[in-house]
Amino acid sequence: MTRAAVAVAGLVALVAAGCEKPLKPGDPVRGLTAAQRDRFTRGKVVFDSAFTPQTGLGPLFNSTGCGECHEDPAKGGFGDEVEVHAAAFRGGVCDPLVQEGGFVIQQHTIPALKQALGIDSEPFPPSATGRAMRTTPVLFGRGLLDLVPDSVILSYADPDDRNHDGIRGRPNRAVDGRLGRFGRKAFIATLDEFNAGAFVAEMGITDPAQPTEENIGGRPIPAGVDSVPDPEITQEQLDLTNDFVRFLAPPTPARLDATGRRGRELFSQIGCAACHIPTLRTGDSPVAALRHREFAAYTDLLLHDMGPDLADICLGRATPSQFRTEPLIDLRDAQRFLHDGRATTPEQAIEAHGGEAAGARDRFKALPPADRAALTAFLKSL
Amino acid sequence: MRYLPRAAALAAILVTPALTSAPVQPSTYTYRGTVHTVQPRAGSLELITGVGFALRLVQMRAVAATRIEKAGVAIALADLKPGDIVRADCRRTSLGLVADRIIEIDGTAAR
Repeated sequence: MTRAAVAVAGLVALVAAGCEKPLKPGDPVRGLTAAQRDRFTRGKVVFDSAFTPQTGLGPLFNSTGCGECHEDPAKGGFGDEVEVHAAAFRGGVCDPLVQEGGFVIQQHTIPALKQALGIDSEPFPPSATGRAMRTTPVLFGRGLLDLVPDSVILSYADPDDRNHDGIRGRPNRAVDGRLGRFGRKAFIATLDEFNAGAFVAEMGITDPAQPTEENIGGRPIPAGVDSVPDPEITQEQLDLTNDFVRFLAPPTPARLDATGRRGRELFSQIGCAACHIPTLRTGDSPVAALRHREFAAYTDLLLHDMGPDLADICLGRATPSQFRTEPLIDLRDAQRFLHDGRATTPEQAIEAHGGEAAGARDRFKALPPADRAALTAFLKSL
Repeated sequence: MRYLPRAAALAAILVTPALTSAPVQPSTYTYRGTVHTVQPRAGSLELITGVGFALRLVQMRAVAATRIEKAGVAIALADLKPGDIVRADCRRTSLGLVADRIIEIDGTAAR
């Protein structure tokens, strides 16, 4: 091949890459095989199923299906539901209140449980020391976050603030000690476990990974209330759901104009990018489309102290005021911000940052209005 | 009488698959979890285990023969405290789960 031919081929490749259709919310990642696309499609059906008491729902539940909450602007997206969590933090040790039904406080009961116990929701645990509200997180790009090597996450940790920048990222640990990365407190080690646990904790659907129902505020389920044999979904249904979630792509960020580019610069300059690490890279995977992929993550997946005003519950090694850096994925479609949805605009969310983020927050507040608007425009491009 | 051996053989053929296909209960169990409670006098321990947000408690007993260790050194049940991460090798007995060995794991090296 002549040099000219090589140059032309390179140009064609560049143009083709530039012309790639942007990925929309709910799209699968590029490069899946036909078999993987088929599993994505079939998994979406399970994800979007509505369960009933006859198919295993409850006895306690927050929702009738995954897609009931993760739905906006596409399946796997945000939701307007806000759920309740509770835990007890005593002497520096976190108790997730398993003996009282666990830290997810389900807001609904099936009719048979209501008839048996006269309750409409799970009783709030009496020994809780904290209560938390949790919005429905977007699931786009979670399959990529799942594959970021532990070593990469730990490389950003600085629990003793050795570089004296005031930022002390710390890893959380799952109950068995593995590095946590999912959930607002980074308490869950893997995406598959997040999904398997969500079937049980959010819908009361037991699965092969967790085949036992939760107790009712510490009491056993009354006889005759739950007659569906456990597990209530099959391994194949669970695997399909996992593949649907795993293959959900992060939407392509919008093209930036001059204002957006200025905002992106400011995002780094004022210190947001110290925790919201702009890009992460996945490690090895049997799925070629997810393997060694660089993507816009805007997180370090570590815990940071966010100050007393945002504090709510502990979880694992996360104290009440420590939260995992939220990935800034599909921020343009978010209607509410922060873990509990208290902010209705990105500006409000930034201004509510405290603790380790107080410096970045103060620098944001000190920016001229045009620069604040530019930073906000950049965030809304994500 | 001559049909008796044949009948016995037929019965054996019919019964054997039923016996071998019955679910085999494991005799030992290994749990990895966070210590929830420790009661040294009662010799009991509760671990938080589970999957994702769906956590469960596992109760077990430590007996005189239970080896409890940390970094290869023997420790007492009373040395364990809530929040510690352990691996427990147990077997089911008429008393419930009994631990043969409990190892405290350094959570930072537990991946």
